[in-house]
Amino acid sequence: MQKTLTITPSRCTSCRTCELACSFKHAGKGGLGIARIRTFMFGEGKNQILTCFQCDEAACVKVCPVEALSRNESTGAIEVNEARCIGCGLCSIACPFGHMNHDGTNGIAVKCDLCGGDEPACAAFCPSRALEYR
Amino acid sequence: MTTEKTISLEINGRFFQAREGMTILDVAKREGIPIPTLCYHEALESVGNCRLCMVEITHPDWKGWKGLVTSCLYPVEEGLQVTTDNKTIWNTRRTILDLLLARCPDSDVIQKLAAEYGVTVTSYRKNDVETKCILCGLCVRVCAAKGANAISSAGRGIEKMIARPFDQPPPDCIGCASCAHICPTGAIEYEDTPEVRKIWGHSFKMVKCESCGRPIMPEKQLEFEAEKSGLDPAYFKTCSVCSQRKSIDTIRSAFDMKAVGLGEPVEVAR
Ligand code: FES
Repeated sequence: MQKTLTITPSRCTSCRTCELACSFKHAGKGGLGIARIRTFMFGEGKNQILTCFQCDEAACVKVCPVEALSRNESTGAIEVNEARCIGCGLCSIACPFGHMNHDGTNGIAVKCDLCGGDEPACAAFCPSRALEYR
Repeated sequence: MTTEKTISLEINGRFFQAREGMTILDVAKREGIPIPTLCYHEALESVGNCRLCMVEITHPDWKGWKGLVTSCLYPVEEGLQVTTDNKTIWNTRRTILDLLLARCPDSDVIQKLAAEYGVTVTSYRKNDVETKCILCGLCVRVCAAKGANAISSAGRGIEKMIARPFDQPPPDCIGCASCAHICPTGAIEYEDTPEVRKIWGHSFKMVKCESCGRPIMPEKQLEFEAEKSGLDPAYFKTCSVCSQRKSIDTIRSAFDMKAVGLGEPVEVAR
């Protein structure tokens, strides 16, 4: 069965390790701005974690003019083909949840790909098991 | 299911497998073999305009014949032997860049690329017309991919240019500025103010984010995108930052109302 990235917000301490792990995994550096996952601190038990829902009927996929976004059938994640992306930014406007981002340097779309089937770095490094892949 | 034929070919003395229909450039890119390009984009049809991706090919059956081809267009063949860099190729690319530098002496992109091939001053007569356009046609192709088809190339030879129909603001332009973003030399200019986007002689009124008021896209583009994607226009009326804020607010209020049981995992991905 396909594994699921589950979020248990009540366990999140908003330590931002997931963001850091994500940046290192995808961009090889620690800039939090390029993380595909975000935490929001509202106090214990109320912190939030947001990342892509990998929607079945994804608005980002529907609006992409060059088919740069497609579903990886083995992981269920919607992945960006960076070479195809023309950086038009439409996907990030269309996403009703604001989970789509863009690399500030070249405008290329950036999103969670569930680390391509390996255990997602965010879940692997989450010290409080607020993020799990199971 | 159709079984795709695998083809083996040689690039710079190393053997590679490729699928039928791939181009030499596709294989080189996959293998990390550098070939310079100016008019290539993975998502768009290749047209072979810039000629910079020239490589030399030969084949054991060709009795010693070899020739230069554009790798972005040339499909792989069984037994093909490709060289991506030698004196002939280098000289060819150098000449192309020398010519491009004569056409666009002010383009920093061309200056930099030409310098890599040892050309700092063009040996041809400099263009009298000030332009950064290298006629690669990426703008025309991206416009077609968007579905707008507003601009095209016109004229031939030295008069060739990227043009608007009858030199008027193109009626089909939606103001998305994809042409400007994809242009490798930054030759297409546009101007954004909070109210309007000026491009190709048009002045498009911008739609503003319903929450923060930041300009999102031209009204005309919004209509176009909604119709093309079949999505409700509302999808395009909130900027991504505000969308994210809304997501958090929704979840937070759900928490405050205890609508979501605290401690229960909330499934976010399949
Ligand atoms: S990239 Fe092949 S001709 Fe321009």
